[in-house]
Parts: sequence; structure tokens; C-alpha cells
Amino acid sequence: MTADFRLFLNALKDVLSSRRIFVALFLMVLPAIIGLIWKSAAGERFEALESYNTLAAGLVFGFILTILSVIYGTGVLSQELEGRTIVYLLTRPIPRWRILLAKYLGAWLAITVTVSISEVLLALAMFGTKLSGVPLMSDIKIIPLGAAAYGALFLLLATLLSKPLSYGLLFAFGWESWVPSLPGGFSRWSIMAYLRTLAPHLQETAESTTETGGGGGGDISEILMAFNPVSIPPITAWFAIPIITLVCLGLSLYFFSVREYSPKEEAS
Amino acid sequence: MNVDNTIHFEHVSRWYGQVIGLNDVSFTIPKGLTALLGPNGAGKSTMLKLVTGQIRPTTGGIAVLGEQPFSNPRVARNLGYCPEIDNFYEDMTGRQFVELMATLSGYKGQDKTQRVQNSIDRVGMSDRCDRKLGGYSKGMRQRIKVAQAIVHDPKVLVLDEPLNGLDPLGRRDMVNLYQQFAEEGMCVLISSHILYEVEQITDRILVMYKGRLLAQGGIRDIRKQIDSHPHRITLTTDNPRKLAGALLLDDTVISARMPQDNHRVVEVETAQPEKFYSNLADIILDGGFEVDVFQAPDNNLEAVFRYLVSA
Repeated sequence: MTADFRLFLNALKDVLSSRRIFVALFLMVLPAIIGLIWKSAAGERFEALESYNTLAAGLVFGFILTILSVIYGTGVLSQELEGRTIVYLLTRPIPRWRILLAKYLGAWLAITVTVSISEVLLALAMFGTKLSGVPLMSDIKIIPLGAAAYGALFLLLATLLSKPLSYGLLFAFGWESWVPSLPGGFSRWSIMAYLRTLAPHLQETAESTTETGGGGGGDISEILMAFNPVSIPPITAWFAIPIITLVCLGLSLYFFSVREYSPKEEAS
Repeated sequence: MNVDNTIHFEHVSRWYGQVIGLNDVSFTIPKGLTALLGPNGAGKSTMLKLVTGQIRPTTGGIAVLGEQPFSNPRVARNLGYCPEIDNFYEDMTGRQFVELMATLSGYKGQDKTQRVQNSIDRVGMSDRCDRKLGGYSKGMRQRIKVAQAIVHDPKVLVLDEPLNGLDPLGRRDMVNLYQQFAEEGMCVLISSHILYEVEQITDRILVMYKGRLLAQGGIRDIRKQIDSHPHRITLTTDNPRKLAGALLLDDTVISARMPQDNHRVVEVETAQPEKFYSNLADIILDGGFEVDVFQAPDNNLEAVFRYLVSA
């Protein structure tokens, strides 16, 4: 077993640690549970596809993908720093960038698998086993891309900032909630906007929700979106997400190689 | 600056914002066992972090085995580090932890297994290495930290307060082990803030205080550097008054006095200890004194350290 693969496995093991696995399991089943509650509450008026699209867009992509990316992406580094075990890694004869890359890949796999299972469970809850015509596969295809881009971005925050989790949460639930809706082409600065472009049903959900008054919601972001419909060409999104991933990951690896990451000593 | 098999600092300073951690420090550490001595906050850990390439110097140059150590796998290949921090991957067993470190050092298969077992054997953890680290005592954790530091047969071994938490027997075993490493040709650097501990390990020391290197060399060599401070020797004899008189006639003696609490003791102060020691035998023989006890407390590291710090 190579050092890189061992680090990759260790990153996965960290994610599956007893404390975190419960959070992951909860997030896996949350959309399906909410979907089932919705289904039983709506009765005969229940629209499976609309409910699926709404929950996939708002909960799976808008919440679970982003929160897991924040936690796992920043955790790649901050867990080692807070646990002060980073000293064992940094004093080994392995280039720093390889340490971080292996751990990033572990986190990426964990995010992808968790969110994908969540999406599959949601689809099963909404449609049962009759999944023909359900946009599940298009969602499953873009989850790894979203996990890679968000994971790399939050990893970059972790390499640069002392409290990456706070800034990550601010970005995930502040910036990513509002910026795609702002007029003036701001959506180009949002990963979520690109993901919605690649899974058009998520975009349609957002637009149709706005047109119909948001199913009773109609908050400011929805009003803004009505004046600023997302109009990123898919080809742009296919390029933008890998570029965001590569740039953020490259910068993370660079900063991790040249910056100091040394835990404070215990007071003797 | 290309000094192989050694640790070399040249006018190294390290600042943490407005606070200085290390102030214009220069030294060379050869093979063998060297102790880094100083109270808490003296800059020992900063120095060790610089040696192990965890941090960079603000100014000055560092060479470990001829290369700058920061983020340098070639240096890490030949450098073992036992940190002071008591943190581990607590879910792992001791063996798994050492195995992980061996894997990260590039070892695989049978070679890795053998190295891990050898390291564990050397630190005396063979019978306890398959227990979880979370359940280890402080002493066991210290031993496992040393095992991971030696698993890749480093040429330079850096140990930050490695005797903390060990019982007296454990201390003796580990001190013997560090001395063995040095005899095998390793450059071993041990930090400690406990003076008597250092005395038992080696007589080659670096003394740090408030980020400055106060002195370096053998304890006696360092004593020589403090030539402004008189050297103190205690003699216990049957006739202290007469001995004190004879000693005062020697031109190397600054003073000789008899403490009030012990009427058999003469305390002598000299600024030329080497010459005094060569004269002392003649003084004793010529006067026919019976000297029961001879002590040179100033050769004691604690005294050396006290002088240096107060200076």
C-alpha cells in the first residue's frame, strides 16, 4: 500500500468516524423522510416529479452537498490541525501536496457517495422503484462535479484561514443562496448556478417556483431570480466547474506546500 | 553552508508577529547526543520546529544534513521527530500508528512489518503495541512517539521533552536507548527543561533562554566560558580552619570560608579551576590533611544554568 493510498483511506476513515457517520447517515435519509412526509400530507394532490425536483434542488444540492463539502472539505486540514496530528504528517518524507491531494480525494469520495445515496433514497421515496423518466441520473452525474468544486474551494479556505468552517458556512448559505439570484451576471460567480445549468430540471424548478409564487414562499431571492433568469450556457458550465476545481485545488496544494502549519505546544 | 551529518544554524532568528521566538542563534550540532536545555518559553520548541522543517526562519540559514529542512522530503527521509505534543490518532493501536508512519516514509510489505516490529521492540512496547493509543499511559505514549520517530532509521533524531511522563525505570531505559542511538552514529538532539535529567543524558548541551543561545558545548566547557564567575569547590576535612589557611596562600584561590552550619567544610572560590585542581593535590599532601569529600558543585548543570540565566 502506497503512502498516498494510505492517506486516502485515512481520510475516508476520518469521515466515517463514529461522530461524523451519524451526521452523514442523517443527511442521507433526510430528503427521503421529508419527501415521504410531503407525500403523505399532500395525498392525491401530490406531484412526485415536482416534489422531487424541489427537494433535489433545495435540500440535496442546496443544503446537503454544500454542508458536507464545507465540513469534509475544510476538515481535510483543520481536523489534523485541531487534533495537532499534522506534525506527524509534515515531518514525513512525502511532499506536502501529495498529503493534501490524497486527503482531498478521500473527502471528495465521501461527499459524492453520501450525496448520491441521499439523492437515490429521495428518488425511491418519491417514485418507488419506477424511476423511468426521473432525472436521477443527470443529478447523479453532476454530484461528483459539485463535490469536487465545492470540496476544492473549501479546502482552499482551510489552507488560508484559521476559521475556515465559519467562512465556508457563510459562503455556502450566504453567497451561494443569494449571488445566483442577483442581477448583473453575478451568477457566474456561483458554483451552484453552474450546477443548475447542468441539471436543467433544478433550474426549471427554481424558475417555475418563482413564476407560480414559489408554492406559497416567494422570498426576495425568488423575486430577484424572476428578473435575472439564469442563462449560463451548458458548455460554459462544463468548463467552469472543472476550472474552478483545478484552480482551487492547485492553489490549495501550493499554499499547503509553502505555508507553515504548526500546532501550538501544550503548556508544560 | 553545507555541513553534512549535522544540524547547522547560522544567525537564525524567528519572529511570531511582534514576539521573537529565536534571536540570532548560531551553532553546529555534530553526530552524537546533544541536549537542548532551557526553561519553558526559552525557544526550544521553536528551534526544534525549525530543525524539523515545520517552520521557516525569519532571518538566517539552517542546514540539516546539508539541506534546508522546510517542507523538504529529502531531509525528512533522514530525520526522525518525536514531538512534545501528546496527540495521536487515538482510534489506532500503537502498532497501526507506527505502521502508518512507516507507510508514509515509503516502506511496504515485509520490510515495513520488520521495521515496525524492530522500532516497537526497541522502545519496549512489544507487549502493549496492539492496544488502542487512547488507552495508553503517558509513558507508553512517549515510547510509541519514539518508535514512530525511528521507524525509518533516521540519521538525525529530534526529541522534544522525550522523558516527560516516564517513571524512573522508564527514564533510565529510554536514556540508555538514546545513548545507544548516538553510539550507532545518529545525531540525537534532545530538549529538556529539567536540569538533572540532562546531566544524566549527556555533557554536550545548548543552553537557551528567552530565545537566545546562552552557551553551547560540554558542561565544563560552558563553565569555562563563564570566566567572570568564580568557581566554587567544597572540601570536607578534619581540620577545615588549617586547610582554609593553606588554600588562601594559593594564588588561584579568591576566597576560602567555613559555613556556620557545617564545621567540617571549607568552601573555596577560584577563577582558575584547572590550575587550582592541579595545585590542590600538593596543598593537601604538604599539609597532611584528610579530605573525606570533594565536591565541585559548580560543575553541576543546575549551577551552570543559574549563572548563565542570571548573567
